[in-house]
Amino acid sequence: MAESTMLVTALLLPFLAALVPAVLGRRGALPRVATLGVMLAVLWLVVTLFGAFDGGSGHAQFAVDAPFIPSLGIGLRFAVDGYNAYLLLLTALLFPVVLACAWGTAEGRSPLYLVLLLLLEGALLGTFLAQDLLVFFVLWEAVLIPMVLLILVFGGPQRRRAAISFFLYTMAGSVLLLAAVIFLGAEAARQTGQWAFDYATLAGLQLSRPQQGLVFLAIALACMVKSPLFPFHAWLPLAYREASPSGTALMAGVLSKMGAYGFLRLALPLAPEGASSFASLFVGLAAVSIFYGAVLALRQRNYKLLVAYASLSHMGYIVLGTFSLQATGLHGAMVQMLSHGVTVAGLFLLLGLLEQRRGAAYLQVHGLATRAPRFAAVLMLFVLASLALPLTSGFAAEFLVLLGAFGAGMARWQAGHGVGVLLATLLAATCVVIGATYMLRFARSLLFDDSALPERLTPDLRPRELLALAPLLLLIFWIGVRPGAWMERTEGTITGLARPVATAVLGAQPHAE
Amino acid sequence: MPSDFWYGLAPELALLGVVVIAMALEAMRVGARWSQGAFVGATVAALAVLYTQLGADYSAVLLDGELRVDRLAVAGKAVLLLCGFGVAAWFPGSVRGHKFWILAGASIVGGMLMLGAASFATLFIGIELLSLPAFALIVLGQGRTVASEGAFKYLVLSSVASAVLLFGASIGYGLTGTLRLDAFAGLFTTGGAQGQAALLLVLAGLFLKAAVFPFHAWAPDAYAAARLPVTAWMASVVKAAVVLAIVRIVGPSALGSAAVPVITALAIVSIVFGNLAALGQSRFRRLLAYSSVAHAGYMIFALLDVTGSRGADLLWYTAFYGLATVLACASFAVLCPGEDDTLERLDGQFGRRPVASILLALSMLSLAGMPPLPGFFAKLFVFRSVIASGHTIWAAVAFIGSFLGLAYYVGIALRLFRPSASPATAPAAERMRQRDESTA
Repeated sequence: MAESTMLVTALLLPFLAALVPAVLGRRGALPRVATLGVMLAVLWLVVTLFGAFDGGSGHAQFAVDAPFIPSLGIGLRFAVDGYNAYLLLLTALLFPVVLACAWGTAEGRSPLYLVLLLLLEGALLGTFLAQDLLVFFVLWEAVLIPMVLLILVFGGPQRRRAAISFFLYTMAGSVLLLAAVIFLGAEAARQTGQWAFDYATLAGLQLSRPQQGLVFLAIALACMVKSPLFPFHAWLPLAYREASPSGTALMAGVLSKMGAYGFLRLALPLAPEGASSFASLFVGLAAVSIFYGAVLALRQRNYKLLVAYASLSHMGYIVLGTFSLQATGLHGAMVQMLSHGVTVAGLFLLLGLLEQRRGAAYLQVHGLATRAPRFAAVLMLFVLASLALPLTSGFAAEFLVLLGAFGAGMARWQAGHGVGVLLATLLAATCVVIGATYMLRFARSLLFDDSALPERLTPDLRPRELLALAPLLLLIFWIGVRPGAWMERTEGTITGLARPVATAVLGAQPHAE
Repeated sequence: MPSDFWYGLAPELALLGVVVIAMALEAMRVGARWSQGAFVGATVAALAVLYTQLGADYSAVLLDGELRVDRLAVAGKAVLLLCGFGVAAWFPGSVRGHKFWILAGASIVGGMLMLGAASFATLFIGIELLSLPAFALIVLGQGRTVASEGAFKYLVLSSVASAVLLFGASIGYGLTGTLRLDAFAGLFTTGGAQGQAALLLVLAGLFLKAAVFPFHAWAPDAYAAARLPVTAWMASVVKAAVVLAIVRIVGPSALGSAAVPVITALAIVSIVFGNLAALGQSRFRRLLAYSSVAHAGYMIFALLDVTGSRGADLLWYTAFYGLATVLACASFAVLCPGEDDTLERLDGQFGRRPVASILLALSMLSLAGMPPLPGFFAKLFVFRSVIASGHTIWAAVAFIGSFLGLAYYVGIALRLFRPSASPATAPAAERMRQRDESTA
C-alpha cells in the first residue's frame, strides 16, 4: 500500500513542483536547488520502488487505478512492471545529472528551463508507468511539448528548424498509433461489451491475423520514428545537433527509449502474431540501422554528430534484441536500454561541459588528456562503455542481444526460413568492430591528438561535475560486472513475454510453409 | 406547466432581458461597459440555471410540438453560453458599443431556440435569429468596404441555406403531414427516395451554415471581414448552434444508407481541404476560417455514429472547439491590437507577453488535437464513435488529414518564440501597412 503511495508521489511530484520555479522566477540559486531537490526525491522514491519490485513474478506491482473517463473504460492506471523498471530508474537518474551539469549555465538559471525539465520528467515517468493504452498515448504525446520547447528556446542557431522537424516527424509517426489505440478499444467493446484500454484486457483480445498486422504496423511506425530506426531517422541529426547538451542528453538517453519501450510494451504483447510475422523485417531494419549509423559515425568530424550517429547505431541493437523474440535477446534489449541511456547521456553531457568551457570552438579541441586529465579519464570510461568493452554494461547488453539474435537466426535457418536473420546478425556483430573504430578515433582525436595546440587552457572537471557523472559510471560498471543481478528484475516479465510470442512463431510456421 | 415555461426558458429570457436592457441603456446614453456587464451577468446567471437543470436531468415540453427542454438542449445551451461568455469576458479593451451586445444577445437567443426546437417552424425562427444578427455584427462599427462585402456574401449564402433547408422541410412535410422534428427523423429509413432527398436538402442547408466543404466559400471572406470578437462569435456560437441543431434534427439513430457515403466524403474532404488551405494562409482570421472548415469536417464526421453517442460527442466537440477558438482570438487580440492580423506580428511575442502567448499556444495545440489538451479528447470521442461504427479506414484517413492541420497550428505556436524584428522597425512597417489599407 505504501508503495502505491510512493508511486503516485513520484509521478505527481514533478508536475506539482513545476510550479515552484515558475513562481520563484530568477531568485539566485533557490529555484535550481528546489528543482534538484525534487528530482533527487523522485530518484529516491524510484530507487526504493525498484528495490521493492519483485522481478520474478512479472506482474504489475504497486498498481494505482483511478477512473478517468469511466464510460470509455479509461483509467489512470499506473504500476511498476518488468518492462518499465529499468526505464523508471534511467529517467529518475538522468534528470538530476542533467540539471547538475547545466547548473551554472544561462539555461540552468532560467526558470523556464527548470519548469520544462520537471514537466518532461513527469510526462516521461507517466508514459513508462501507464498501464492504460490511452493514458500512455496521451503522455507519450505530452512529452513532445516540453521537449520541443527545450529545443526551441535553448537550442543552437538552427533550433527552429530542428524543433519543427522533430515535432512533425514524431507526430506523423503517432497519427496511426491513435487509430490503432481506438481500434483496440472498440474491439474490446465488441468482444467484452465494455470499452477498455488497460493493457491486460487488450492483450487478451482475440484479433485476426490481418488485424494484428495492422495494429502492429501502426504501433511500430510510431516507435520507429521515436527510437529512431532506419529509415525514419531523418529528424535525428538536426535535432541532436541543435538541441542544448541537456536536451540532446535527454533525447538520446530517455526519449529514444520510449520507442524501444513501445516495441516491447505494446507491439509484442498486443499483437504477438503481427510481431512474429514482421520480425524478420525488423531484424533486417535493425541491422541496417546499426550499420548505417556506424558508417556515418565513422565519417563525422563533428563530435556531437558522431555521438548522434553512434546512438542511432546502438539503438539498433535494442530493436535487434527485441525482434529476436527470444528470452536472451529480450534481456539484452532491456539491458541495452538502460546501458545505452546512461552511456550516451554521459557522452553528450561531457561534450556539453566541453562546450561550456570552450564555446563553439569545442569541436576543434584536441589533446585533452594532458590539459584536463580527470575530464579525459571520465570521457574515456564512457567511450569504453559505448564500444562495449567487457565489464561495462555495453558488453553485457550487446553480447546478450547478439546471442539472442544468433539463436533466432539459427533456429530460422534450421526450420528452412532462409538465412536472412542470420546474415543480419552477422552484419550487426561486425558493426561492433566498426563501433570500436569510430569511438576510439573520437577519443584519440579529442584526448590525444596534440597537433593543433589550443591557446586557452581547458579547465578540468570540477568536483560538482564529477559528482554528477559518477552515478552514471557506477551504473555502467555495476551492470557490466553483475548483469545477472539486474536481469532478475525483468526475468518474470520476459518469460511471460517470450512465451506467447514464441507460440505465435511456432503457430505461424505451418502457415508460412 | 407555466412554471415549466418560465424555468425551462429562463436562459433565453435572461438573454432577452440583456437585449432589452442594452437597448434602454443605449437610449439613456450610458457607457457601453454597462451593457457588457449585463451580458456577462446574464450569461453567468443563465449558466447557473442550466447547471441546476443539468444536475436534475431536467426535461419538459414547454410548448407542445414547438419547444422542449431535454439533456441535449440544456447542455447545448450551456455550450453556447460558455462561448458567449468567453467572447464577452476575455477580449481586451472590450467596449464595443451597445449595439454589439444587443445583436450578440439576440443571436445567442436564436441559437438556444434552435436547440430547444421541436418543429421546423421554431427551428427556422431560431436559425434566422442566430444568423441575421451575425450578419449585422460583421458590418457593425466598420467603415471598410471589405466588411460589407464579407457580410453581404454571408447574407446571400445564408439565405440560400435557409431556402434549401425550407425546401427539404417542405418535402418532409409533404411526406409526413407535420412539421415536427421527431416525425421527420423517421423519414431517413422509411421515407424512400423522397425521404432521403428531404434529409439531404435539410443537411445541405445546415452544412452551408456550418461551412462544410463544398459549402464553405463564404467563410474565409466573412471571417476575415469581421473584427476578431465577431470572428470568434461566428466560429464558436454560430457554428456550435448549427451543428447541435443537426443532432436535434437527425436524432441519435443511424443515418440512412444513402447519407453515409455522402457525409463520409464531405467530412474527409472538409478536413483535408480545410487543413491544406489553412497551411497557405498568412492572416490569422483567414487561417481560422479554413481551420473552421476542417473542424466542421470533424463535427459532421460524428454524424456517422451508430452507437447513439452522437449528441454527447458533438457537445464535447463544439464546447472544446468553441472555447479554444474564442481563447485563441482573445489572446491574439491581446498580442496584436488593431485590425492588422498578419501572422508576422506574432513573432517573438513570448518575450513581451508570456501569459497571452502561452494561452494562444495552448489553444492552438488544443485545436490541433494535441494530447493532453482538451481538444484531443474532443477528437478522441468523435473518432471513437466513428471507429466503433465500423469506419476504421476512413477514420485513419481523417487522422492523416488532421495531421496536416498540426503544421500550421504549431507554426503559430512556434512564431511566438521566434526572435522578432527589431522594435524600431516594426511599428514603421505597421504604419505603412495601415496606410496601404486605408488608401486601398
